[in-house]
Amino acid sequence: MMLFYFQRLIEIYPFFLKGLWMTVAVSGISLVFGTIFGLVLGILRASGNKFFVAIIGVYVAVIRGTPFVVQIFIVFFILPEWGIQLDAFPAAIISLTILATAFICEIVAGGIKAVPNGQWEAAASSGLNIFQQLRYVIVPQSLQTILPPLVGQYVLLIKDSSVVSVIGVVELTRVGWVTVNRIPEGLMVFSLVGVLYFAISYPLIRLSNRLEKKMATQQVML
Amino acid sequence: MLEGFNFRVIWEYMPFFMEGLRNTFLISIVSLFLALIAGIIACACRLSPWRLVRGLSIAYIESIRSTPLLVQIYFLYFGLPTLGLRVPELQTGIIALMLNSGAYIAEIVRAGMTSVPNGQIEAGIASGLNYFQRMRFIILPQALGVTVPPLLGQAIVLFKDSALLSLISVMELTRVGQTLTSERFMPSEAFFTVAFLYLCIYFVLKSLADWSQKKLIFREAY
Amino acid sequence: MIKFKGVNKWFGKLHVLRDIDLHVSPGEVVVVCGPSGSGKSTLIRCINRLEKFQKGELFVDGTPLHDHSTNLTKLRAEIGFVFQQFHLYPHMTALQNVALAPINVRKMKRADAEALAHEKLARVGLADKADAHPTQLSGGQQQRVAIARGLAMSPKIMLFDEPTSALDPEMIGEVLDVMVKLASEGMTMCVVTHEMGFARQVAHRVIFMDEGSLVETGKPHDFFANPQTDRAAQFISKILTH
Repeated sequence: MMLFYFQRLIEIYPFFLKGLWMTVAVSGISLVFGTIFGLVLGILRASGNKFFVAIIGVYVAVIRGTPFVVQIFIVFFILPEWGIQLDAFPAAIISLTILATAFICEIVAGGIKAVPNGQWEAAASSGLNIFQQLRYVIVPQSLQTILPPLVGQYVLLIKDSSVVSVIGVVELTRVGWVTVNRIPEGLMVFSLVGVLYFAISYPLIRLSNRLEKKMATQQVML
Repeated sequence: MLEGFNFRVIWEYMPFFMEGLRNTFLISIVSLFLALIAGIIACACRLSPWRLVRGLSIAYIESIRSTPLLVQIYFLYFGLPTLGLRVPELQTGIIALMLNSGAYIAEIVRAGMTSVPNGQIEAGIASGLNYFQRMRFIILPQALGVTVPPLLGQAIVLFKDSALLSLISVMELTRVGQTLTSERFMPSEAFFTVAFLYLCIYFVLKSLADWSQKKLIFREAY
Repeated sequence: MIKFKGVNKWFGKLHVLRDIDLHVSPGEVVVVCGPSGSGKSTLIRCINRLEKFQKGELFVDGTPLHDHSTNLTKLRAEIGFVFQQFHLYPHMTALQNVALAPINVRKMKRADAEALAHEKLARVGLADKADAHPTQLSGGQQQRVAIARGLAMSPKIMLFDEPTSALDPEMIGEVLDVMVKLASEGMTMCVVTHEMGFARQVAHRVIFMDEGSLVETGKPHDFFANPQTDRAAQFISKILTH
């Protein structure tokens, strides 16, 4: 019986590949947006401007303090009440981007604050404007501190993207959920789903660890 | 935009919300306790001199960390019955949370243990302290200080993650919101209330974590 | 007291101790010197078996260290060890650092152990720092606490692994003073150090090591005035000009 199900599972493998592709698309698009917005908000947050710090602080706390599944429900069920009709796919992208931005902006702000004040002063005294200071002096230095946790955060967000299955986006987890209703071998089906997630996230975890080690040695050399 | 907000319904459902909150609480505390035990055991195995034991614990930790919690929940929910095990939803969910957080806790504890410099352990050996005395007097007191803040961080994550148990129909806080949505179709009232309750708990836990972190940094600095 | 017979040690392929023969008598103060990487730290770390060795025999106070059945914990309790980097326990006060082993290894009563710790701290001139945490102490003070920690077990032998190398120059004196006093009281000591003043003043013998071998040994005066080997001569001229 198990063998029979295993064969059926192999027959429908294109379905799993489609799910894998959808997971990559949803998390990839959200991560790109999340990184861009997170960079901007992180710089504003590190700027020390009271207004921005307060607003962004509230945003980050609300996102960090509530479960992602609740956030998705709010985006998917409540925006339509306010007259904004959304399909599942854009709703997934929007909620995952909101989540990613909050976490990434914290990492960016931390990295920028870690650059010694003297660097800002030196860059300002050589006549660079604020954008040049950031572009040439501050951001390149803070990248060292930002990159390892950023890649780690990417892994967490890719895993969080599994939750968008609840509003019907047919990504990997949803594929597993649909399949298990036809092929009632839960261990087998979700092992396959797990292996596919592993294939995406494990290389990133290794990369994050490597970056962290590299950063540690660079700091010693300074 | 909240002109139609129906506080009467929220009031009417308040007992359900409170019950959901209580269940979320209980689930989190029980899972956290079990995860601590699982994490400490996994960490002890991870540091064990036997290759096989070490390999098994690495396999456990890495496979948990590179797959989504939701997939792990489904794996148990759909998988345990195929093994002939009839486990109720609540228990399945708690096992999933325990296994998931246990892997993260194992890494937190390991980081704490290895944070004690080797020289101090040698100093302990040189003055004739045995393994358990070195653990008890030198490693554990220092590891604990480094471990508590990230453990509280993990507790916050676990508390939010418990929302995913709503997807296997465990009647916790998020599930109450879903129920209210389907019974009365009032998603705003339902999910804003749910989010608000999560936020309240989050702030309590977060200030606890910040406080413990400050105490620790203070001790190191002085 | 300490007897090396043909001791050899390898770190992987690296031969770090070559055929060491050495005899230290009770009450003797031996200074071990040599260029970095010569194996001198490894040599004294073998004496309390922080390092294993692969070949040869080593007896400490009659106990064979090459024998696997030797009770190392008991042996180590008889030997004090002072590290270059102090390695005090940062979560304990100076007093707790010193009293830890007497309470747990010697099974002394807490009050007795603390009285003993106070006495040892007074001996290194830190009676008033008993309740300070290591981070509140200067490097010199930390190293003196570490010496008191070693002395608290009433050891038969004290080993020092470059005890002053991590210290600022102005703090070296206070640590050496304690060591000189200890030597004059008849403690058996093995000291890895480049402090030639100390060697001249208190050492009964200077041992020069290079590339894992015991190259030369002699009375301090003879060793510094006319070294027998070129390698030793070179080494001495280097540290004296520094």
